[in-house]
Amino acid sequence: MTAFQRLRFGAAWGLCLAAALITSPDANAAPAAKPDDRALTIVARWELKNADPSVNGYAFTRMEVAETLVDADGNGTPKPGLAEGWEASADGLTWRFRLRTGVTFHDGTTMTADHVVTALNHARAKPGSLSKAPIQAITADKGAVVIRLAEPFSPLLSFLADSASQILAPASYDDKGNVTHVIGTGPYRVAEFKPPQHLVVTRHDSYWGGPASIAKATYLATHRSETRTVMVESGDAQIVFNLDPASVQRLSRNPKLSVQAVPIPRVISVKINAGHPLLSDLRARQALSLAIDRTGIAVGILRQPETAATQLFPPSLGAWHDSGLPPLTQNVERAKALLAEMGWKPGSNGVLEKDGKRLRLTLRTYPDRPELPPVATALADQWRAIGVDVSIAIGHFSDILSGHQDGSLELGLIARSLAVAPDPLGTLMQDFGPKGGDWGAMNWSNPALTEAIDRILRSQQAEESAAAKRAVGAILHQELPTIPVVWYTQTAAVSKTLKGFEIDPFERSYLLSRLRWVE
Amino acid sequence: MIRPILHRVAQALLVALMVGVLTFALMRSLPGDMAWRVAAGRYGYDITDAAVMEQVRQSLALDQPAALALLSWFGDLLRLDLGVSLISELPVVDEIAHQLGASVTLALTALLLSVLLGPPLGVLAGLRPGGGLDRALFALSITLRALPQFVIGLLLIYGLAIVFGLLPASGHGEAGHVVLPALTLAIGLAAVSCRVARDATVAVTTSGYYRFGETKGLRPLDNFLRHGLRNIAVPIVTYLGVQLVYLIEGVVVVETLFAWPGIGHALVHAILARDVPMIQGTALVMGLMFVLLNAGVDVMCGALDPRRRTS
Amino acid sequence: MIRLSRGQWAGVALLLLLALFALGVPQVVPGDPTRQSLSNALLPPGGPFLFGTDPFGRDMLLRLAAAVRLSLGIALLTTALAGVIGVALGVLAGACGGWVDRALCGVADTLLALPGLLLVLLLVAIAPGRFWPLYLGVSLVLWVEYFRMTRAAALRIAASPAVEASRLLGFGPFYRFRRHYWPELAPITLTVGAFGSATSVMSVAALGFVNVGVRPPTPELGQMMIELMPYYNEAPLILAQPILVVVLLVLALNLIAGGKTQ
Repeated sequence: MTAFQRLRFGAAWGLCLAAALITSPDANAAPAAKPDDRALTIVARWELKNADPSVNGYAFTRMEVAETLVDADGNGTPKPGLAEGWEASADGLTWRFRLRTGVTFHDGTTMTADHVVTALNHARAKPGSLSKAPIQAITADKGAVVIRLAEPFSPLLSFLADSASQILAPASYDDKGNVTHVIGTGPYRVAEFKPPQHLVVTRHDSYWGGPASIAKATYLATHRSETRTVMVESGDAQIVFNLDPASVQRLSRNPKLSVQAVPIPRVISVKINAGHPLLSDLRARQALSLAIDRTGIAVGILRQPETAATQLFPPSLGAWHDSGLPPLTQNVERAKALLAEMGWKPGSNGVLEKDGKRLRLTLRTYPDRPELPPVATALADQWRAIGVDVSIAIGHFSDILSGHQDGSLELGLIARSLAVAPDPLGTLMQDFGPKGGDWGAMNWSNPALTEAIDRILRSQQAEESAAAKRAVGAILHQELPTIPVVWYTQTAAVSKTLKGFEIDPFERSYLLSRLRWVE
Repeated sequence: MIRPILHRVAQALLVALMVGVLTFALMRSLPGDMAWRVAAGRYGYDITDAAVMEQVRQSLALDQPAALALLSWFGDLLRLDLGVSLISELPVVDEIAHQLGASVTLALTALLLSVLLGPPLGVLAGLRPGGGLDRALFALSITLRALPQFVIGLLLIYGLAIVFGLLPASGHGEAGHVVLPALTLAIGLAAVSCRVARDATVAVTTSGYYRFGETKGLRPLDNFLRHGLRNIAVPIVTYLGVQLVYLIEGVVVVETLFAWPGIGHALVHAILARDVPMIQGTALVMGLMFVLLNAGVDVMCGALDPRRRTS
Repeated sequence: MIRLSRGQWAGVALLLLLALFALGVPQVVPGDPTRQSLSNALLPPGGPFLFGTDPFGRDMLLRLAAAVRLSLGIALLTTALAGVIGVALGVLAGACGGWVDRALCGVADTLLALPGLLLVLLLVAIAPGRFWPLYLGVSLVLWVEYFRMTRAAALRIAASPAVEASRLLGFGPFYRFRRHYWPELAPITLTVGAFGSATSVMSVAALGFVNVGVRPPTPELGQMMIELMPYYNEAPLILAQPILVVVLLVLALNLIAGGKTQ
């Protein structure tokens, strides 16, 4: 047989059942665990790579192994974490963080200001939010941590809440500053870390906030959503994240499970090369936006009608979402009229032409987020209806980034998190700055927008900041440097043997320590 | 005895050389900037941007000439050092041990299950060619081979894990987890190996020496055990030996479906992320395993069939 | 000459039927297999669309026909490519013997030792979204089988008195190939070819499963299965279609390969 034989094996029920008879004793062999030390299994799609906080930090904060100086509540507002409180100087350049006392790392060391300074300096040297903040120095001062800035920077607290800024014990780092073991302060400690799939944590009994209820939990990275769904249906897992749209409906009918959905600050949008001759005209971008049937995509593909984006910022980003903006809607006639106004005329196959050139573009996207390719196919189809011939190139997401750098990108369908750190400002600075951003505007900038972002950065007053935020939203809505398509919803199915489950909209934590088994 | 060993050693060296050069050349000819892919593989889409990519480029020394990089890989190889993964920054040896180990466990379990399922049925069918069992088995085998692997896997999960709740659907870490993915593979293997066994049985039982055994008055069972079994075993062992390698590398579909941390899955990711040391290391280890297994099959066939030793 | 058994005829008939379906449907039902209509998503078979629609509201009948065309096309091309290379080199190795044989066997052995999956993945990565790396990759893996089978037969034939006589009578190599080799090789080639085609159909579908290979929205059987998989509860009849087609396709090819040749 050939070397490819391995890819073609088959099965049927007769043999399955025969085999079941052979193998079933195996499954019954495990003795039933005592209710108290039942282990919890959480399944999501993100694979583990290594212990580096800038790479995989989110996995350790989500499993509550590591904590950050500043925490965030369900709205993304900063709240005390390992720091009990903080003060900023009048000029906004010096921040002083008072540390919580009686915090111990999992190796028994008591946390001191020096430890925190070391951890933050390591974090600053690696990619992540902190490396982008204008920090001059981080020092320890009488049990407090002092951060000196080169210029006022309001999202500092949010950047400190980024999982890449987690505080680890000195023993976590090797002599080159790389993290070899994650020794954190959270309610759970690492028991086993086996990339790419496994992270097992056990309860840290001397946690400063009091010990958690569940003794042991396993995180299992599972790429395919069908597999994840099956695991929660069969009882192999108690919590499963990132459900595919079709499964949400089926699982909600399962009496043993409850399904939760929470909007999260991530948005699927079309990144546009505004320097491209066909796209530099605002009318072209508006036409593309008007051609999109967002409700159709939200209902048909994501099966969540409320996710159709009416503007860039989802309602969950309270301070940024502006309900006063006219919603983005579909209007095919208006889209066609705009293109006609620009001189495009229908040619063969209904594709528009001008001066013998056809209106043809390429939309790049990537399969890492499984909903992107279907949304791309839907978009291409809807754009074809207004005479724009869009071909889809599904590749690696770095093709979009490198296409931005070398200018070859025309359109890119991306799923962008607006809040890597809880405050979207960091993302906005990166995406819509004066030079554009790899994940944001391309060959597009707007002085008014830059100025508004700057005002928010320096602002220490809520009203001033709120007005500037509305201005940012309005400009992005008007100019469409990226076209929002749908917002994201995080979905999870949870076994009813658990209580206290909640989804953190900022995906910072799985909130394990709030869970308990139903008696 | 020396010559075959030398032959295998030479083959192993050739494989190592080819794997090194070929994977290296292919990797270098892949489109796209390697630094982008490595940065993307390490940091994921929320963090990666041009600045991160530049940082990665600096740390990787990618501007080093290709020939030099290849030479240094061979140099490290002589010291039995496969290098460090570009993505996880962990030693390639450890990664392979973990992921290939998982694949080997899966493949061996599948092989064992398939040996229990396939060949016995095949031999029974072959003892009476054209009979009811033979025809039924032919139909079953040809249908099974036509079913894609992931369909079998899903049928098994749905049947055995969800409806009956007998086995864990997927995961890794406990003994029960290996059963369903191994069974998925085993069923496909058994569908073929039962045909191999059946054909071998027919060939043996119609042969002169077997007929002679009958004529000289051996009881059918004795005749089968003394003259049949060994001869039937040779093609089956050959077939299964070759399949083992294919199983190990080819289980990517099953690995993905059952969340099994195997080498197929690791290869797909390593290629996407342009993790050259990981790919070279994996290809090398798998190539050498192929050579070793072939040698093993030769030895086993020789033990089963003394005629082969002299030829 | 090749005489076909009943099982093989059944396989040929089934294959012809599938080909007729693939080529006939576009003639009878005009339309675009990639055209979406989100408001017509997942319609059951028998309504306005004979075979129903997928989650994007695309016509399953058209998609299936296009997917079968693609699968058959890939199978045909890879089998032809692998067959020509494999048979030619196999005869060369078997007939010439000596260092030619040793060199060719060395190449084949080394290629076998390389993980086939790696080869295909690397080639596909070189030109993502194109078809040729798929053809080439699958052919590269498949030809070794033709080579080994043909070589074994050619070794035997080359040693036969008939070939020796032809050679002494001064007949050229082409005559000898036609007269002595091909009649014996043809049935082997048919069997290996049918198996190879089945393998190629399955491999491409399996590659679709791990997001490698043909790109959407091009209808491809493996990818259709993956797209439809989440709807197994909601629209089992739609999901069953591509699975059934793959099963029939591979079954037909296996039947052709599996029966006895005389």
